[in-house]
Order: sequence, then structure tokens, then C-alpha cells
Amino acid sequence: MTSYARARSSSAGAQFLDPAVLARIDNLELLARTVVDGFLTGLHRSPYLGFSLDFAEHRPYMPGDDVRRIDWRLFARTDRHYIKLFEAETNANFAILLDISRSMSFGSHSVVKLDYARYLSAALAFFSNRQRDRVGLITFDQKVVDFVPPSMKHMDTVLHVLDQLSAGRPGSLHQPLLQITERLTRKGVVVLISDFYEEPDQILESVGLLSARGHDVIVFHVLDPAELEFPFEDASGFQDMESGEQVPVIPERLRGEYLALIRGHVSELEQRFSARRIDYKLLDTSQPLDLALFQYLSFRERMTRVR
Amino acid sequence: MSLAFLVPLFLLGIAGIAIPVVVHLTRRQRRNVVEFPSLMFLSKVPFQEQRRRRIQHWLLLSLRALALLLLAVAFARPFLDRSDLVLGGAGGPRELVVLIDQSYSMGAGDQWTEARRAAAGAFDDLGPLDRASLVTFAQGARVIARSTSDRTRLRAALDTVDVGSGTTRYGPALKAAQTILEESDLPSGEVVLVSDFQRNGWSGDEGVRLPPGAVLTPVSVAGDVPENIQITGLGLARQSVSGRERVTPTVRLARVGGDEPREVPVTLELDGQEIQTRVAVLEPDGATALVFQPFTLSQPHTRGTVRVPADDLSPDDVRHFVLSPGSTISVLVVEGSRAPTDASFYLRRALEISEEGRFSVRVRRGDGVTPQDLENADVVVLNDVRVDGASAERLGAFARGGGGVLLVLGERSSWPESAADVAPGAVGPVDDRAEGQGGRLGFLEYGHPVFEPFAGPRSGDFTGARFFRARDLTLSDSARVMARFDDGSVALAETRTGRGTIMVWTSTMDAQWNDLALQPVYLPFVHRLAEYLSGRVEVQPWFTAGQIVDLADPDALEAAGLVSAEAAGLDNESDRMALSPSGAALPLPAGDGPSYLPLEEQGFYTVRLAGSDPDRPFVIAVNVDLSESTRTGIDPEELVAQITAPGTDPTTGPDFAEGSDLRREDQERRQSLWRLILAAAFALLVLETVLSNWVSRRRSGTPGMVTG
Repeated sequence: MTSYARARSSSAGAQFLDPAVLARIDNLELLARTVVDGFLTGLHRSPYLGFSLDFAEHRPYMPGDDVRRIDWRLFARTDRHYIKLFEAETNANFAILLDISRSMSFGSHSVVKLDYARYLSAALAFFSNRQRDRVGLITFDQKVVDFVPPSMKHMDTVLHVLDQLSAGRPGSLHQPLLQITERLTRKGVVVLISDFYEEPDQILESVGLLSARGHDVIVFHVLDPAELEFPFEDASGFQDMESGEQVPVIPERLRGEYLALIRGHVSELEQRFSARRIDYKLLDTSQPLDLALFQYLSFRERMTRVR
Repeated sequence: MSLAFLVPLFLLGIAGIAIPVVVHLTRRQRRNVVEFPSLMFLSKVPFQEQRRRRIQHWLLLSLRALALLLLAVAFARPFLDRSDLVLGGAGGPRELVVLIDQSYSMGAGDQWTEARRAAAGAFDDLGPLDRASLVTFAQGARVIARSTSDRTRLRAALDTVDVGSGTTRYGPALKAAQTILEESDLPSGEVVLVSDFQRNGWSGDEGVRLPPGAVLTPVSVAGDVPENIQITGLGLARQSVSGRERVTPTVRLARVGGDEPREVPVTLELDGQEIQTRVAVLEPDGATALVFQPFTLSQPHTRGTVRVPADDLSPDDVRHFVLSPGSTISVLVVEGSRAPTDASFYLRRALEISEEGRFSVRVRRGDGVTPQDLENADVVVLNDVRVDGASAERLGAFARGGGGVLLVLGERSSWPESAADVAPGAVGPVDDRAEGQGGRLGFLEYGHPVFEPFAGPRSGDFTGARFFRARDLTLSDSARVMARFDDGSVALAETRTGRGTIMVWTSTMDAQWNDLALQPVYLPFVHRLAEYLSGRVEVQPWFTAGQIVDLADPDALEAAGLVSAEAAGLDNESDRMALSPSGAALPLPAGDGPSYLPLEEQGFYTVRLAGSDPDRPFVIAVNVDLSESTRTGIDPEELVAQITAPGTDPTTGPDFAEGSDLRREDQERRQSLWRLILAAAFALLVLETVLSNWVSRRRSGTPGMVTG
């Protein structure tokens, strides 16, 4: 089962908040809190696993190590110096890279893709902030628009920027991600939210800049149901929202081939991101945000184990 | 047969089909623009250029295109050109009128069979676009089938036609053909005249002229003139013997042809019973008269028939008549006691001279009129009588009861003042014009029934009579002058009183004061006077086939021999029924209007109330017109030359080229395919409207795109 199919099949669950309902909440913080608290309430185990200072392993002391990390009890029993290593880093950098190109302003229902991405960003930022991560936000289209560097104190700024942003210009990935890579000097968790209307090679090349820098990258591919199902019927002129190009289209004749192409695109992205150990998740804007939170949570869990 | 168009230029309108196609390809594209995040995938779809022009609503497009196509075709006036199917082809569609002579002379030999065969042949030769009419004629013409291409109907109509009892008259038939051809929209016309072409059927001045281009094709079926014996006349002289009427039939016979003298038995039948048979000897081309023994006429509406053995032309071998007793007019002539002895000589003799015993004359001298005198009298003539008051009163009453009174004024005539209102005027002194040539009649009211028979030329000359003396007459207000002398004084005047008439003749009826009695017109004049005063109408023992009787007219009934409506079981309030000689029932509904009975068959027509069966019903005898037996023929070409336009040749004439165009128009007009096509186009447009509205509503239900 592909991510697309899983995304579509996981729509059931009355406890999840419909994005259309979230859209009525003006306050992004309240929205994020509502999402996260509701999400956490539904869990049967604590999501803060990564925050505990659990012991991971010992290694021999090497010159230069902090002597405060020497396990003195073990030294007493073995008369050797060992250093204690703990599982997770606390106070990690958490940066949200949000695509605000014009194509993100598309929506076939009450929530456009940008709004969905905005809610997702707020929820993730809120969630990460609770884990004592330093939260930052970078918006971009064909270049970086807003840059809020990760910080424990930037939660309000992130929410404010999310609240104010709007889509306007055409977008691209490579140039802004190159700039972001250069500016995010400290390794951390990077969440990239976009509709990814570029060739998979270009996308992988751009996103690869981040992973090559050592960032842990999570990719959320946000698409509208109309982009996934192509429900149009009347022959119409389809206009590219970014380039303005117009093409006459007979949906009933084109639908099959279009769906094959978009699914192939999603499938290829999923495979190639996975091959690069980059988490990829397709998000349908008609689905609740919880799916994205699950994805993020599983990622954090996996990440802490790796460390 | 091929599809053709009268106005093919309109077919250019078919190019209008491109309009809905272009609209389907372009208009919807301009109208609906959907903003889509990226055309990255859409632009990758192969064959996009072809698909972008694909038409979505094929049904709508088809309806619109088909409607436009039908509109263009309808305006181009399509028709199935069947010119190549026209038989002969030279004249194009014809309007054929077959005139078939139905007169009784056509019954001679096998003429009628030949005539029907000729008519059927003409119908068989009809082309697919030809139309034909069948007209039968004798005295009049009757259109049996009009302008139809249905051969079956024409054949059926022809089968219903049979020889009649009429007389040939070509005028009405040709006039009917002329009318049919003039009203026809076919380019050529032809009249086929099937007849034995008798000369007496054509007078030459009928005023018939066939339309230009029309052809008259005479088909003569006249065979050899056979020997024919006919009853040319029948006299029914009446005599009153011992108060009963006796009738002496006199038959005149003629023989046409033959080689040797021939004995011919002649039979007299009364009420269907053979009474007498006499034998007449007829020389070749000879004639003779035969007198039957008198028979007593006792029953009203007695049917009589005189017949000779039927020959090749049988209708003229029989003569029917109907007689009723009591048709004699009783005239009482009262001479003044001091009048000359022979004052009524001429008058009496004139009235007695009547072949059929029309008048019964009684002469009495005296100055008064007694009630006994007036009994059984129809007319009272007071010849130079000094009328007293009582007699005047009686005469007034007699006139009011329907009798007629004629005052013949002489030297001693007078009319009492007490009855002046009854007489046409006051009698004055004698006007003596003995000097010179005397006076003459200067004015006659020819419109009056008395003088009506003399209206025509050589029908009686009253100007030859000279009048030397006459009495002056001062007319009353109600009097009407019928004749005046050349000095303006009144010669004959009348006044109507009640149902009768009182007349005054201001001179004598003998040769004393005038010489009118010596003039040829005297006898018919006296007869007309007596008949008019009696109020009787001359009864016709028979009618001629072709005549029409108005049974609602009492005078016509009386002329037809009706003695008493009550006795015959007739009244004007109930529906009547006439039975023709062939047994056909002819209903005669009661009403205020005329009730015409056309007498078309030879024999006896019986008229009675519907559902009644009186002992002596009212019967009308009908005989054929003997002129039809005269077999002198006319050259058909003479007839053709007189009624067709000179130089007409439908195959080469100037009308032919025009006729070709007319044929196309005619075919198109007759088929009128454009009406059907136009109706179909409108139906399609209505369907398209409904369908497009449904599609629009369905489309408006599709959710629109939201862009942030």
C-alpha cells in the first residue's frame, strides 16, 4: 500500500479534528494546542520518550572527554574510566521549511493547501516546543521569504509569521533550500512542507542539500483532493497558477493519465526519499492533521533510538 | 426519381453547421477557466492538441447541426423529381378531363360500351403525375371525379355511370372542362370528349374556349345510323260526354331508314294495363298518325303510355303521359238581353276550338246572373250586359272565391255604382273612332300572363286589329291596365279581388266595334284570357327529361297535373319522397324554400308523403327529348377548331418550355416536403433547448475551485 493509499484510507476516526473545523479557529496557538492536546490525549503512552535522560551505553574515557560524565561507580568496581552516554539530545533545533509559493494557495474545499500547511506547522511547532526544542520557521517560494531561526524563545514569532504569511509568487525548491542550508548551521530536525511540483530529481537534489548537511529531514507532501482525484468534468481551460499558462483540458479524457502521473510522482518521491532515509509523508488536505503528527512522532522515536 | 431542390442556393446555409461545431470547440473553452496548481502533469499527457478540440456534447452538437441542416434543406425547397417517370414525357403532367356523353342516343348499338372503353383507356394512359377528371353530360354536366390521379377511383366512378335520358349539349360539359383546366396548376391540359357527336348538341355560340395549350381529343363512338321508329307526337284530345271526359289519343309515328313498308303495332297502356293495340304501316323514312279509340278518364293521375316495339334506340319508342279529369275550364258567356244575336259567336267558337277540350262553353242571354249560373263556372263573360246590383254582388263574391269575370263592354253595358269598388273602373260613354282607319292597340303589357305568349317575335300581332268604337273607362285605384289603344284610352284592365280577377275589355268581342275577331291572334288571345281568368294553369301531361319541378310551388304542381294535394296525400308541412322510374328514392324535405325535383329519367316519378301509400299518388310523366333521336352528326374537328386556341400544340408550343419549370414547382408544391422538414427542424431545436438546459443545470451543480 502506498503512502497515498494509506493517507486516503486513514480518513476514518471521529476523534480527529477536521481541517475545516480548525479553519474556524483564528488563533494559531489555540489551534496548535487543540490539535496537540487532543492528539496526546488519544495516545496510550507518553510521547516524551526522547526527553528522558536514559542511559544508552558506556565507552572508554578518551582524553578530552568531560570528566563529569565519568561513571564513578563503574570505576569503583572495575578501576577503569568509562563515560556514560545518554539516549537523546534535548534542546534540538526544530526548523519548519514552509513552501508558500502560489500553487500552495489552491484548494477545492474550504481549506487550501497553504492553510493546511499553516495548521500543520503550528501544531508541529507547538509540539516541538513542548519537548524543549528550539523552534524556527523558514518560508520560501522561489527564495526565502521569512526566516525565524530556531530558538526556545521564537515560538510566538513562529506563530505570528504563520499567521501572517500568504502565497504569492511562483516557487522553486533548489535556490531557497540552498540558502536555508547555508543559514541553518546547527544540525537539527528540519520539516519541509511543500506540494513539490518539480521533477523528483530536482526535489531530491534540493532536499539532499539539507540531509547532506546533517539535518534530520521530514518531508510532508501536501496535496489537495482535487489534485489527487482530478474530479473535474467539463472541458475547461486549465491555467497554471504560477506560470499563467493555459491548456484546454477534457477531464474525462485526461483523468486516467493524470492520475497515473500524479501517483507515479508520489510513488517515486516516496521511494527515493526512503532510499535516502528521509521521512516522507503525503498529506491530503481533507484529512485530519493527526496523520502528520503520528508521522512526526514516529520519526522522533526512531531518531532517539538511533542516537 | 431523384431528390432535387427548387432553390438550391439555400443549400449554402448548410455551411452554417460549422457554427455550432466552432461554438462547441471554442466557446466553452473561453468560458470556463480552472486555476490549477501546476500543469506539470497535464502538459505531459500525450496527444493533447487533438484532445483539446474534442467535442464533449456530441448529442447537442448533432441536434444543432441537424437542425441547421434541415433548415437549409427546407429553404431549398426539396422535392422528389419524378419527371423521368412521366409516361410519354412530352407534355409533362397533364390535367385530363374525360367528357363522356350520357345522352340516351348513346344507348344505341354498342356506343355506350365503346364510350366506356375509350374513357377507361384514357385513364389507363395517365402518367404518375397526371390527374384526371370524369365529367358526364347530357343537357347539363356533372363532375363525377375531379382532378385526381387515383386510377382506381376514376375507374370506380366510371363504373357508376350509365346512359341517361337526357339530350346532348356539349356546351355545359366543355364549360366544365374549361373550368377544371383553368383551375389546374398542371402545365398541360387535355380534354377527351367521348360522344356520338350529334349536330343538335352544339350551337356554336356556347362561349367555350379551352385554355391555351389545352388539347381537345374527340373520340367518336357513333356507329352506323340504324333504322329507327319513334313516337314523334302524342295528342290527347278531350271531350266531355254526358258529364264525363273522354280522351282520344292520337299518336304520330316516324320512321328513319328502312327499305320496305313495315307494320308497327302501337300499344296504349293505362295505369300499366294494355288497353288497345293498333297497327300502323310506316313507309321507309315515312311518318303516319294513328288514332286510338277514346277512353273515359275517371281517375286522377291516370298514367298512360303509348309504345311501339323497342328498336335500337328505345327511349323514343315510348311516350308517357299523366291525365286527370276535371281539367276543363267552364266558361259561362252571358249575353245581354238587348245585345246583337251573334254577339258571342266569335267568342264561343274561339273557346270551343281546342284540341284537348280545354274549355267548356255555355251561352245564356239575359241581364242578370243567378247563383245557378255561377255553379260549376270557372269564368263568366258578360258580353254587353247591363249588370244590376244583385248580379254585381254575386259576381263580386264569385270573383273573391277564385272565379274570373270578364266584362265585355258594348253599346248597352253598364256596371252598378253600388259595386263600383269591385270593377276595375267606371264605364263611360262610347268613344267613336269610326272615321278614318279607326284606332289600334298601342300598348300591351307583355309581362302580363295574358300577353306573355305574344312577347316574342312572330308570336302574334295585335297591331293589325282596328278598333272603331270602345267605351271609356275611368280606372279605379286598384285597377291595372294591360292594354291601351293608340290614343291612350284603356283597352283592357283588371282588378284583383279576393282570389279572383275581374277584367274589363272596353270594346266588343265580335266584329261589330273592331275586327280583332278576324285577326289570327284572336283565338290564342281569348284562350289566354279564359285561362288567366279561371286561375287554372295549363296542365302538362308530361315533362321532358332534364326539366326540374319545384314541388313547393303550387302553380308548378298544378301544371304538373296535381289535382288535389289532399287526395294525393301531400301537404307542405311534411317530408315528401319521390320515386324515380328506376326506383331510386329522392327525399324532398319539407321547408320554406323550394323543393326541386330533377326529372332526369324517362318514365313516371311518383311523389308522396314519406311512409304513405295513397291510392292515386301524384305522378309526373317524363319523356325524352326527341331531338336526341335525330342522328345528324357534327364533324368532331369542327368542334375542336371552335373551342381550342388556334395553333395550339402542346408539344411544340411556346408554353412547353415554361411548362418544364412549372413542373418542378408543381412537384415541389404538391409534395411540400419543406413543411415536414421545417417541422422536424423546429422539433429538434425544441429538443436541443430542453437538453442544453438540462446540461447547464447539471454543470452548474459541479463544485467550483477555491483559491486562497
